[in-house]
Amino acid sequence: MNRALAPLNGIRIADFTIHAAGPFCTQLLAQLGAECIKIESKARPDAFRKPHAVYGRMSAATFDQVSVNKLSVRLNLKRPEAVALAKRLVAISDIAAESFRAGVMQRLGLGFDDLRSVKPDIILLSLSSCGQSGPDSHFAGYAPLFGAWGGLGWMTGYTDGPPVEVRHVMDHSAGIHAAAATMAALHQRRRTGHAQHVDVAAREVASAMIGDALIQASLGMTPARTGNRHSAMAPHGVYPTRQPDRWLTLAVRDDKQWQALVRELGSPAAADDARFATIDARLTHHDDLDALLIKWLSTCDADVTAERLQRVGVCAHVSWSMQDIANDPHLRARGATTEVSGPDLAPRLAVGAPARFSKTREVGIRRLTPALGQDEDYVFGELLGLSSAQRADLEAREVIL
Amino acid sequence: MLSDDSSQRSDLPLTGCRVLEHSRTVAAAYAGRLLGTMGATVVMLEPPGGSPLRTEPPLLEAAKQSALFAYLAAGKRSLLCDLRSPDGQQLLAHELEQADILIDDTPLRERKDRAVEPSDIAERFPSLVHVSVLPFGASGPKADWDGEEVNLLHAGGEGFLLPNGLSNERFPDRPPLKIYGHFSQYQGGAMAAFAALSAWWAVPANGGQYVDVSVQDAALSVGAFALQRLGDGSLEHRSTRRFRYGGVFEAQGGFVELLTLEDRQWQALVELLGRPAWTQDQALNDPLERSRRGDEINRHIGEWMSRHAVEDIVHRAQQLGVPAAKYRTPAEVIQGSHERSRGLFTPLTLDEGLEAEVLIAPFQFQCSRRPAFGRVPAIGEMKEQTE
Repeated sequence: MNRALAPLNGIRIADFTIHAAGPFCTQLLAQLGAECIKIESKARPDAFRKPHAVYGRMSAATFDQVSVNKLSVRLNLKRPEAVALAKRLVAISDIAAESFRAGVMQRLGLGFDDLRSVKPDIILLSLSSCGQSGPDSHFAGYAPLFGAWGGLGWMTGYTDGPPVEVRHVMDHSAGIHAAAATMAALHQRRRTGHAQHVDVAAREVASAMIGDALIQASLGMTPARTGNRHSAMAPHGVYPTRQPDRWLTLAVRDDKQWQALVRELGSPAAADDARFATIDARLTHHDDLDALLIKWLSTCDADVTAERLQRVGVCAHVSWSMQDIANDPHLRARGATTEVSGPDLAPRLAVGAPARFSKTREVGIRRLTPALGQDEDYVFGELLGLSSAQRADLEAREVIL
Repeated sequence: MLSDDSSQRSDLPLTGCRVLEHSRTVAAAYAGRLLGTMGATVVMLEPPGGSPLRTEPPLLEAAKQSALFAYLAAGKRSLLCDLRSPDGQQLLAHELEQADILIDDTPLRERKDRAVEPSDIAERFPSLVHVSVLPFGASGPKADWDGEEVNLLHAGGEGFLLPNGLSNERFPDRPPLKIYGHFSQYQGGAMAAFAALSAWWAVPANGGQYVDVSVQDAALSVGAFALQRLGDGSLEHRSTRRFRYGGVFEAQGGFVELLTLEDRQWQALVELLGRPAWTQDQALNDPLERSRRGDEINRHIGEWMSRHAVEDIVHRAQQLGVPAAKYRTPAEVIQGSHERSRGLFTPLTLDEGLEAEVLIAPFQFQCSRRPAFGRVPAIGEMKEQTE
């Protein structure tokens, strides 16, 4: 894969991000061709380099999606010399990215003003749980907390149940938003030559997912938790089928689609049932409607039914496990899933390029998870011009660690 | 009064960028919304009668309009344009002459009739970035499949995995559950905005191009960790996907999310709980042992939580460095002192002159002013301006 034919070829990132949200952001930029230098340390290894016991992973990850395409160098940022080297990396980069709590970068001597002093038009991305300002900015948090703070967790759930934990998708959603905002700042730099500090608070990304409910709340309304239902579509939901734990998702927009569904599922009598004749009637009798759907679908193969319904214009899809995703030829054909393998890595699937480009086509995974410090010859040697002796000395004094 | 005041946007990152948005889905509309919030001028092409999103729930009875549309259209302009007519197609061409980016979600089978075929557009507007946003993308065997949010969240794999934790424990036999609203489509929209700006970045070197974004791909992308787990040999399921300890707990007056990943956070949690006898078991100093005994730990935490007020728990937890948060309602978010301090919301004038507040954007540009929205654009308000 030729990075020169990717849209972000020529962009360099000094990447201080850790865990998931920030690294996912820089991974997206790297998949589109940016050169991303991950700055890390044996002293505080990133989550994927050690066991994740709370999640049940008892050893380091063999493959880490959010580290693909990245170069790795070691710097012990507790040492002033390491901070000075980090600044030299920033000085030859377009973007610096970090995901510490607010204030940590300043304490390290790597705050926005510090970085601007060595690179006057730097774009600094700060992706944190609560943002760079505000009374909660010092709060520690992980993905499930973002959803709880932001209101998305409360709004998600069965209507009669507790709120629901929104997990890694919340990290990665913050990462996509951060990538878009970072690109906007780059465009601004191209137009004005100015630096920019992009401040993304993951909890606010969660709030952006309930933007409609927040407007309601601002007017004194109490937004409803809708579960699997929709107040303008019926049937709408997730239905059991003939196979255990093989669910069919359905969304019927109008009467025409309802009639098509009735024809396909072979119960013509229902077409004449006044309870289901119009959308208003179906919404009123949604419980009865669901009971009918469950009865019909109890003899149906989920996958076959989804295909049949799609052919007649009804939105239907099986509730897919990751094994279904891995088996899907459509996702594979698009490069949304892609096989990766290496000397120490058995073939496996990973998530590929986030979009397809008609001209700058060479996007996607070019290299796998880097070993710690794997790219120091290039980064410290070629880019920063450090000699072998200098690097050995820095390593001996645990500046490079 | 018009919805856009360009004088207030002079220093936003995308000032000078012009986006044409032809949308009927939340994904495409959200892409335009994000670009507009960053400073682009975003013109919605609306069909006669207006965008179907104008009637999408949830509805605001007092303003007789959609809260979802108000959220998605804030800051945009509206131009009436019937792409099925020659006049409409001429207007489209005129607008594309001035545009940098086109966001379009016209289904493949309708594109020729509406003059939005990518090859035709590329030929006539060689510097344009043309972004297609479709439920399953514009290529591949399922490119002509259609999907609403409930379908797409499950097509991307996350739907199957929800709910987990407390909700799954209480209702193990219920169907999988979607995330509120349009989560997958928001991911598709954000990815489209990111891809659009990346392609626009490459225009000086490569000219304009066509970009194919799929909501399903974006939904899978944010769920990448579950695919990684599959590669590690674990097929995740909502009934078993949970942190070994921590998660959602019911406290007095609400629900708490608790998650401790680091040893120091575990020690702080022990402090929060008041150092009860069970926490003094030396074996629990080992994180792997804690994971093995997660159910036991959660029973203790749950019992303790049930005896304490949610606000007290989260206040004390954050003091001690225990990652914990209250599950806040939308009312609590909109009134939140943190959000207020950060200026997360701005006034928005709805139909009937009703004043609401709307979230500006989930990012801030510290060197730029914040955008202001004015009012939700009326159908075709740009035409009124020219008359």
